[in-house]
Amino acid sequence: MELNITLRVSRHPARNGKAFDEFQVKLEEKMSVLDALFRVQREQDSSLGFRCSCRVGMCGTCAVYVNRIPRLACSTLVKSLESDVVTIEPLPHYPIVKDVAVSLEPFFEQWRRAKPAFRPRNPDSAELARIPKDSKYRLLTPTKRDCITCGACFAACSIVGMNDHYLGPAAINKAFLRILDPRDAAREERVKILDRSLDGVWRCHTQFNCTAACPRNIDVTDSIVRIKRALLWPGRLLKP
Amino acid sequence: MKLYLRQAVRKYRWQYSGMVAWFIQRATGLLLLFYLFLHVETISKLSQGPVAFDAAMATFSSPLFKLLEIALLGTVVLHALNGIRITLVDLDIGMKKQRHLFWWVTVGIGILVFLAGAIPIFLDAVLKV
Repeated sequence: MELNITLRVSRHPARNGKAFDEFQVKLEEKMSVLDALFRVQREQDSSLGFRCSCRVGMCGTCAVYVNRIPRLACSTLVKSLESDVVTIEPLPHYPIVKDVAVSLEPFFEQWRRAKPAFRPRNPDSAELARIPKDSKYRLLTPTKRDCITCGACFAACSIVGMNDHYLGPAAINKAFLRILDPRDAAREERVKILDRSLDGVWRCHTQFNCTAACPRNIDVTDSIVRIKRALLWPGRLLKP
Repeated sequence: MKLYLRQAVRKYRWQYSGMVAWFIQRATGLLLLFYLFLHVETISKLSQGPVAFDAAMATFSSPLFKLLEIALLGTVVLHALNGIRITLVDLDIGMKKQRHLFWWVTVGIGILVFLAGAIPIFLDAVLKV
């Protein structure tokens, strides 16, 4: 039996006064939200705008708001949504480029502020800096290094929506990883940025939205709470 | 509207329940702040003498205020238990289980404590009427 779903896609700028366009799409067994968008673009409306790149959940380019939840369009199966109406909107907290495609500039602006680049303690060293398998850094960080900068956590965070200056979950998680890294030389600088009262970790209200939204299952809130504890009790940062 | 409601229920009932917990904490906090002002206002009646205070107490023993008392109990229980959950999470206790903590501790135990307190208040109010 042929099953159709209704794809409600947000349009920016609005077309014919309508903020949403509805398309009927034939549901396939393994159809992702991105597949559905492509089908609409190829068969019904070639002007539909959305972003994608790798199509396998590695690049984070295709993050959109699916049924009011930030998700990667390529990794979200339409069937898993358990709904015959799928609403697709652009991620909140970002300027819209066209339809459901957004500019990630606000996200990367905060990302840059958190100083994400590695700064070696000894830049002239010819030796490789080794991280032992059983070191605290190694044990604590594997699950936190998978960020693909899709911006889903930034879209899910309600504090970002209220405070333009807030660093946001991904930038804090990145700074957290750098601070933990025993080879890094800019720890104090990063701690100062994170400790700022108006835009640092203290703005986080522990709502867990970032953790819920992360398509890579990174416990971002855990990183933020760990930094808060470390700022209150220095020396507790590395407790695994 | 129905669609958005359905999507919101699906979103917040489990995966995003941390947001619900946050909202409950803020809403109950504001209600308790309002109650605090009411409480101080009532206590200040003591300075006007026993007659004024007794009159205020008489108002509070009406069935309507008994219902509000039950609502106050619910507000206090939710705020207190969710406060415990937040403290535990901040201390890294049950961080990975915060959604379970919300539904089982804040809501689950909260309902039991609420019923244990609300039923006697309600029966007392009904029996007196």
